[in-house]
Amino acid sequence: MLTLALDTASGACQACVFDGTGGTLEGLRREEIGRGHAERLMPVIDAALAEAGVSLDSIGRVAVTIGPGSFTGIRVGVATARGLALALGCEGVGVSCLEAIAADHAKNAPLMAVLDARRGEVYCQLFGAGDTWASRPAARAPGNAARLALEANATLTGPAAGLVAEAGAEALALIPMPEGPSIATIARLAAAMTPPFERPAPLYLRGADAKPQTGFALARAGAAT
Amino acid sequence: MPHPRNQDGRTLRVLGIETSCDETAAALVERAPDGSGAIVSNVVMSQIEEHAAFGGVVPELAARAHVAVLDTLVAEALSQGNVALGDVDAIAATAGPGLIGGLIVGLMTGKALARAADKPLYAINHLEGHALTARLTDGVAFPYLMLLVSGGHTQLVLAKGVGKYRRWGTTIDDALGEAFDKTAKLLGLGYPGGPAVEAAARTGDPRRFAFPRPLRGNPGLDFSFSGLKTAVRQAAEALVPLADQDVADIVASFQAAIVDTLKERLSRAAARFRDECEAADPTLVVAGGVAANGAIRAMLTDFCAGEGFRFVAPQPALCTDNAAMIAWAGAERAALGLPPAEMTVAARSRWPLDETADALIGSGRRGAKA
Repeated sequence: MLTLALDTASGACQACVFDGTGGTLEGLRREEIGRGHAERLMPVIDAALAEAGVSLDSIGRVAVTIGPGSFTGIRVGVATARGLALALGCEGVGVSCLEAIAADHAKNAPLMAVLDARRGEVYCQLFGAGDTWASRPAARAPGNAARLALEANATLTGPAAGLVAEAGAEALALIPMPEGPSIATIARLAAAMTPPFERPAPLYLRGADAKPQTGFALARAGAAT
Repeated sequence: MPHPRNQDGRTLRVLGIETSCDETAAALVERAPDGSGAIVSNVVMSQIEEHAAFGGVVPELAARAHVAVLDTLVAEALSQGNVALGDVDAIAATAGPGLIGGLIVGLMTGKALARAADKPLYAINHLEGHALTARLTDGVAFPYLMLLVSGGHTQLVLAKGVGKYRRWGTTIDDALGEAFDKTAKLLGLGYPGGPAVEAAARTGDPRRFAFPRPLRGNPGLDFSFSGLKTAVRQAAEALVPLADQDVADIVASFQAAIVDTLKERLSRAAARFRDECEAADPTLVVAGGVAANGAIRAMLTDFCAGEGFRFVAPQPALCTDNAAMIAWAGAERAALGLPPAEMTVAARSRWPLDETADALIGSGRRGAKA
């Protein structure tokens, strides 16, 4: 079965076609664009399909990164993947960017995957250290992430691993991964998933930054206060 | 890809998607070769509850809600129409103007559906959807005059043809729906403000407060509501704490000022229409959520009767945001053989219906708002 994987959660706009049966990458396109994913994604998909020499009709599964990352970028990918899955009558599956980062490394030692969350925070998740609360993906201050990583003696990796190292975890091993999750890894993870599937849904890890508005209304006579 | 025009005697079937503000919507419409339209299905999911606590639409919350449900709504629209995606002739998605996060969700869904089903995609201007609705519902012929009054827009538009619009007037500050929402918020009447203000105004005295009629006598056709908003605030603040009757009188007077203002602007627009347009059956079309207001609708009915205009007010569900109007705009474009969008088309938060009109608000880097 062929899996089409999409990733628009960060600066890269990338897609690939992966043959799950043979475990082979059939076609891949990656563009480092920073912004404008909504405009570039369909041509990037077409380029990956063209390299693989297949049409969309032959795709049996559509995979997409669900974040964490740029809210708009995540939605570009998720909306596209869900639209493609609906039109093709195939499964759509979501892959976490942090899981995809971790998947490229050894499973038998603690690892912290780190992405830049901006606004003085990182998105991070601890893998291979048992099921602790720190193993849940979250947005954290780099210093907080550094403490968790030190406690677990985790290796740091991912595009923002350096932010955690600088925040007090210089002693930990660091595997540079400036380019973020590989689209081939994302496709491989998705191809290995087994049903039942939930439709891809964004993993924001942050609220919408809106506060309920109170105190705008003028006082009413006889109203309880 | 062949053009899906229906001059060969075939009915066109178009799937529409709308996500520009706080309604997620999908619909199927058909356009017969004679130009008549029919709505096959029309699914709308409102996000009012998500935004109510914030007193207005929160863009990020809106975008989150759109992406969570849009594919389900598209499937529902197809299923209600008993139509497979392969059996539609084109996809139409709102590409602007509106909240960019939501627009991107709808446009990318539209691109994906169009690409996978090998159908043309029409990237529709939301305002054109409103402008053409009267042709779907009532078969109105060009040219006609349109009053668009919603939470985001207040415009007088001359519709000369598909894609041919002249913006005769627009608001220079707040949209009319915004004025209703802000008044409701000030007086603690809840969100959305339109229905709340209208209900409270029923028991009020519209003559108690002499609120301004902004731009009255001004020779143009533009609107302004921020001064009225300030006058309402000052009147209300002077009476704090407000009795129920005070609130009713304020909103009744506020609504009366709006009705008067619209009527005065419309009189000028009707005169200009007679001067400049040859129409056997002069018609005024109203669109937008504020068109559901009973006092405004009553004035429009009377006004048109007095001026000898035919008054066309689509049912409220087609005046507020919906995807049937987007699908219809796509069908009208397809029928004329207008080119579909490229797969690289971008959503536009600002996209004036009349590209020739001067920007009165939002004239920054991204250009005129609408």
